[in-house]
Amino acid sequence: MEEQLKPAAAVIDPEKILRDLRELWAQLAKEQGSAGGVLRACSMTLIAVAEHDDEADAELARKTIGVLMHGHPSRAIVLTPREGGDFSGRVFAECWMPFGGQQQICSEGIEITADSEQTDEVARLLVPLIAPDLPVVLWCRGPRAFLDRSLDPLFPLANKIIFNTRAVRHASSAIEFLRRVRKEGGKDGRQVADLAWTRLTGWREAVAHLMDACPGGWLAAAGGEVRIEYGGGRPGTRTLYFARWIERALPGANVTLIPVAGGPGVHSAVFAGCGAETSVRLGEGSSLEVRTAERSYSAVLPPDSEESLMHEELSILGKDPVFDRVLG
Amino acid sequence: MPDSNPFADPLRFERQVPECAIVIFGANGDLTKRKLIPSLYRLAYERRLPATASIIGTSRTALSDDAFRAKMHDSVKEFLEDSPFDEDQWTGFAKGLHYIAGDLSDPKLYSAIKEKLTALGRTNVLYYLSTQPSYYAEVVERLGAAGLGHTTPQGWQRIVIEKPFGHDLASARELNERVHGVFAEADVYRIDHYLGKETVQNILAFRFGNGIFEPLWNRRYVNHVQITAAESIGLEGRGAYYQEAGAVRDMIQNHLLQVMATIAMEPPAAYEPNAVRDERAKLLRSIRILRPEEVPLYAVAGQYAGFRHEPNVDPASQTPTYAAASFFVDNWRWAGIPFYIRSGKKLPKRTTEIAIQYNTAPHALFTPDAGGVIMRPNLLILRIQPEEGISLRFLSKQPGSGMRLRPVSMDFNYGSSFGERSPTAYETLLEDALTGDATLYTRQDMVEASWQVVTPILEDWANRQFEYPNYEPGTWGPAAADEMLARQGHVWRNS
Repeated sequence: MEEQLKPAAAVIDPEKILRDLRELWAQLAKEQGSAGGVLRACSMTLIAVAEHDDEADAELARKTIGVLMHGHPSRAIVLTPREGGDFSGRVFAECWMPFGGQQQICSEGIEITADSEQTDEVARLLVPLIAPDLPVVLWCRGPRAFLDRSLDPLFPLANKIIFNTRAVRHASSAIEFLRRVRKEGGKDGRQVADLAWTRLTGWREAVAHLMDACPGGWLAAAGGEVRIEYGGGRPGTRTLYFARWIERALPGANVTLIPVAGGPGVHSAVFAGCGAETSVRLGEGSSLEVRTAERSYSAVLPPDSEESLMHEELSILGKDPVFDRVLG
Repeated sequence: MPDSNPFADPLRFERQVPECAIVIFGANGDLTKRKLIPSLYRLAYERRLPATASIIGTSRTALSDDAFRAKMHDSVKEFLEDSPFDEDQWTGFAKGLHYIAGDLSDPKLYSAIKEKLTALGRTNVLYYLSTQPSYYAEVVERLGAAGLGHTTPQGWQRIVIEKPFGHDLASARELNERVHGVFAEADVYRIDHYLGKETVQNILAFRFGNGIFEPLWNRRYVNHVQITAAESIGLEGRGAYYQEAGAVRDMIQNHLLQVMATIAMEPPAAYEPNAVRDERAKLLRSIRILRPEEVPLYAVAGQYAGFRHEPNVDPASQTPTYAAASFFVDNWRWAGIPFYIRSGKKLPKRTTEIAIQYNTAPHALFTPDAGGVIMRPNLLILRIQPEEGISLRFLSKQPGSGMRLRPVSMDFNYGSSFGERSPTAYETLLEDALTGDATLYTRQDMVEASWQVVTPILEDWANRQFEYPNYEPGTWGPAAADEMLARQGHVWRNS
């Protein structure tokens, strides 16, 4: 991967940033001129809001976006709110050579540092920087969005907003917040996502496949009992989502949440009603142990990395009916 | 994954391929090593194939399981497309590879397959016919005689049949009858790998997922359509097969008529297997069948210089290595609009594309006399390979004084919008067959309809002596193909 950085104005002028981007592309094309050229790739604008005053988080966001760009080429905007800080910005490009390819693919990015008290101003600044006619995804990386309403002015810019409620203490409030954000953007069809829900995909896939292998079993389970064990002291958003998902799929089933020792998140789900008891439990490493009356097997959980979770979310830019139903 | 599963979430996770075995007949052949095993490996790599899946290769060559694994290891390394090879992943995948040597005509082979399936505990079985086509019916009947090939409540048994499905209409019908003697139609998957290509599937998305194109997709606006499948290479060791097949049987009867059907079909009521296939079949049945006297006017055969010197080719061969034809669709949407289809070997470059040429503007506001105007009709190009994408050509004012127009191109390139690797056609189609989705497979009525379309051409050419060769390698085929279009006021898009 090759990367180029170019300083922009000390005080941000969107026109200047766009001009810098044009110059950056001209420079890339010139450099690659005799080596197959570069392909400018962009399928969305991805705005990542780093943790307040956290340079390391901004750097991490940029690295993650660099990986994500291979699958979801975008105009990336990394925004770092800083208390009392000046507006500043710079442009960069992430380039890579596809496996077996001969032409380098590049996506462009903009880093912006801005006063955390002036999100309204930041939102106005971002408007001309958004790639026209393409989806806009806002990625609120930290819990700040849940703590105050300072990021609210950015929400109307986005078609999809991705939150992460993993570290949020009050799960029910966080879910209520997501509902509100979705409702406020309702007319524009704004989508809301939560990486805590994305982390459940492996679990949900295992349960879905289990029911595939047990024709009619879910019907029996619908009138039966489902016990979900969770760790971490109190049920987090992940546990609540999982329970609601099962309740929605099996109306009439009695879903019980049982606290157990261990780290936060779902530890097991036991379905009574598919013949004998059927269970999905957290196994060693990143696997699930699935047991039915007939057999036992392991299912590998997908990677839990931020890149992998974001990759999944960026693949769904339209409606996500299952999550919408779970969110309520 | 059945829709009835209340836990299904097709946006988030793949359909599950159940525990199964894949039995490949012709496991020592090119298709197995170049396409099938690399595709299955890639499906396993992406966790789209269960870790417990078994693959049983059979062919006449004596090989141990380990020798077969070693051979496939090298093949996957060599032919895996657009993705790196992972040695650890291979080790797990290779455990499921097995091999049975045997003669396709020997009942013992089928008993051995049955024993192996029982030993492995596999009741869901996909048989893949990658043998010479002349063995298809026999293999199917011997499977039936061995008690294999019947779907039961305990598991499904499906068969994938490679093209060519028959040598002509009569043989296609006969083969179908014999296949149906063992497998139900729902379990027969006639593969046409063109339909599995992302870009061919994208034709449906382009046409029926957007609002602006479909209103222009008819005889009122379209002037004509050109479908080109050009190869720059020659036979590449396939002399024996190609000499029998020729360009019409190899490309037009199957791939290109399916592409034409996808371009010209009516919108299906839903994106589900039979709805899509019904529309494709209807379109194929709507193609006007040429009368014998029309064939010389609407079809052109060619053979490149040097073909007769290729290995395993008759020095006096009359096999066409190039074929072009004008087809007309007798329905309200397309009446009178020519669809030109051509395919050839040793042409200037490898390209497969569909070019839809629109009528010119009804009133020539900008005439050539007005100063340097190049009047060109709008052209919509759907590129299937190698540079997958879509281009729209239109006229634009050249910067500067005066009203000088120049054609420009608006391009969509798969690579610049989707950085991700696309699955190969065989990955898509194998996964579909394993999950029971036949949308991208052809049905018997489609096969028969396309044979009916090409039969007059094949019959006419079989009864004529052509003065071959009639085109040089590296050219766009015989001059007669250009003349065929010129008679209708059109020219091939040779770029």
